[in-house]
Amino acid sequence: MATLGQYLIVSGLLFTIGFAGVMLRRNIIIIFMSLELMLNAANLSLVAFSRYRVGADGLPNYNAQVFVFFIITVAAAEVALGLAIIVALYRARQTTHVEDISTLRF
Amino acid sequence: MIGAPMLEIAVVALGLLVLLIEAFTERTDKRAVAWIGMSGLAAVLVASFFLAPSPPPTTNGFWSFYTADSLAVFFKRFALVTTILVLIMMIDYAPIVRQTVHGATKQAGLGEFFALPLFTCAGLMWMASATDFVMIFVSLEVVTMSFYALVAFTRRNPVTLEAGVKYLILSALSTGFLVYGITWIFGATGETNLARIGDVLRDGGEQVPALFGMALVLVALGFKIAAVPFQIWVPDVYQGAPTPVTAYLSVGSKAAGFVVLLRVLEPFFVLPQTERLLVWVAALTLIYGNLAALPQTNLKRLLAYSSIAHAGYLLVGVVCLAGPAVGYYFVAYLLMTILSFAVLIVVASQSGDRIEDFNGLSRRSPFLSFAMLVAMGSLAGLPFTAGFLGKFFIFDAAIRQHQTMLLVIGVITVACGFYYYFKVIRAMYWERGSSDSTVPVSALTRYTIVALIAAILMLGVYPQPILNALRPQTAALSATR
Repeated sequence: MATLGQYLIVSGLLFTIGFAGVMLRRNIIIIFMSLELMLNAANLSLVAFSRYRVGADGLPNYNAQVFVFFIITVAAAEVALGLAIIVALYRARQTTHVEDISTLRF
Repeated sequence: MIGAPMLEIAVVALGLLVLLIEAFTERTDKRAVAWIGMSGLAAVLVASFFLAPSPPPTTNGFWSFYTADSLAVFFKRFALVTTILVLIMMIDYAPIVRQTVHGATKQAGLGEFFALPLFTCAGLMWMASATDFVMIFVSLEVVTMSFYALVAFTRRNPVTLEAGVKYLILSALSTGFLVYGITWIFGATGETNLARIGDVLRDGGEQVPALFGMALVLVALGFKIAAVPFQIWVPDVYQGAPTPVTAYLSVGSKAAGFVVLLRVLEPFFVLPQTERLLVWVAALTLIYGNLAALPQTNLKRLLAYSSIAHAGYLLVGVVCLAGPAVGYYFVAYLLMTILSFAVLIVVASQSGDRIEDFNGLSRRSPFLSFAMLVAMGSLAGLPFTAGFLGKFFIFDAAIRQHQTMLLVIGVITVACGFYYYFKVIRAMYWERGSSDSTVPVSALTRYTIVALIAAILMLGVYPQPILNALRPQTAALSATR
């Protein structure tokens, strides 16, 4: 059976890949996808922590699992709203590349 | 007597009611919707003075993640007042929304524009009461989601849309950091409740993963309060967003961020690393905000940098654990920021939002230029204004806590502030304007501006009312630390 450390390494990798995606990729849709990856990294480690933190009664700590449901709900709402804004941007500019949206400058 | 959670429930119900009214009355003037929202919020504000005392925190159930202590109630009222003032500004801004939203009818989009701040307000009020990371996360997201929609609201304007996308990406990024940080804090302590996290840390729980989680949470909160080095989104988003939304972002969002910061830091001040980190963030924020504001030529962008600078002064108060000083500074900041944005909306609807558009305003509208004079003077910290006493209390706290470095940087950056705020005053009184047409001001805005000027000048010489309102909170803060 996998250990807590292995789960945490995978979730850390997911978070890093997501963060690197946000920083390096130039397409807003891909950036948005990477953001979702970061949230899912948190979900994975929450569930792992919950499973491995067994209380005195032999049950996992369910607080974290409930929190995961909140994160999933919020992420879904964020995607709905975020994609709507990106679609509006595409209609106005015919582009989803970050280099093309730089009217606002210092 | 009313239970504290009823206030948020009332605000959400009001928001839904406003949406329903908006959906079923097609022909009426949509500004009536804003009036309903404002009067509802005013009623909730009155109700907040008749709260039943909150029960002591329990280990599980509702009162373990919700508190109604005086700090929470103070910031609930703060959120309500801010939202009412923002709705007043939105009424003035309505013509611009009409031009820049697609729709079948002439008034398309106006109703939602007036309804969304109500949901933001409910989120801000929840945030003031949250004492559990799950609650903090959900309320923070309620606020952020409604701001996504508000910032990108006038979507025919490409600049606004661009600001909306930037805000979307960077806020979602900070949410990712927040969630991952909470995960690690949970992993280290096995708790999401702030008080119990503090207990575990005091008993010498695993500190390294908890500190790592805390650092990630601080990154996320740094985005919300616009602290350096997480301020990159601020100038672009503030300049591009509809002006009332900019005002709301700079006051409401920042206040909520600071309440959460105060609450989250409480258990972590056990660890000495936290304070050292915050001193550096405060110093950098002060220097960056003030220096970057110097060359600005667009007033909205100038106010964005000034809001970064003010976050620096507030952080100094947080580092010095000066609860009442931070509270007073926030009241002063609310008054002067809303006043400057209110004047900006009126002037910008006629000419534009660059500083040169204010040239010769004293001849075109002595009233508006006097209002701007008071706002800029107070933001810079002239004596006899609320802004002066706000900075005075903060520096006083810094002297008492022997934060000499922060004090020196603070005083130098205040001098910087005089330069860029007085640039606006010089444009209004000494430059010659291109047009001589007077600037029309609606009656509601005129009364609001008069009230704000009076409040700034009154609090500048007689700060007792606010200090008294904050006194029980002082006791609560020092008791918890």
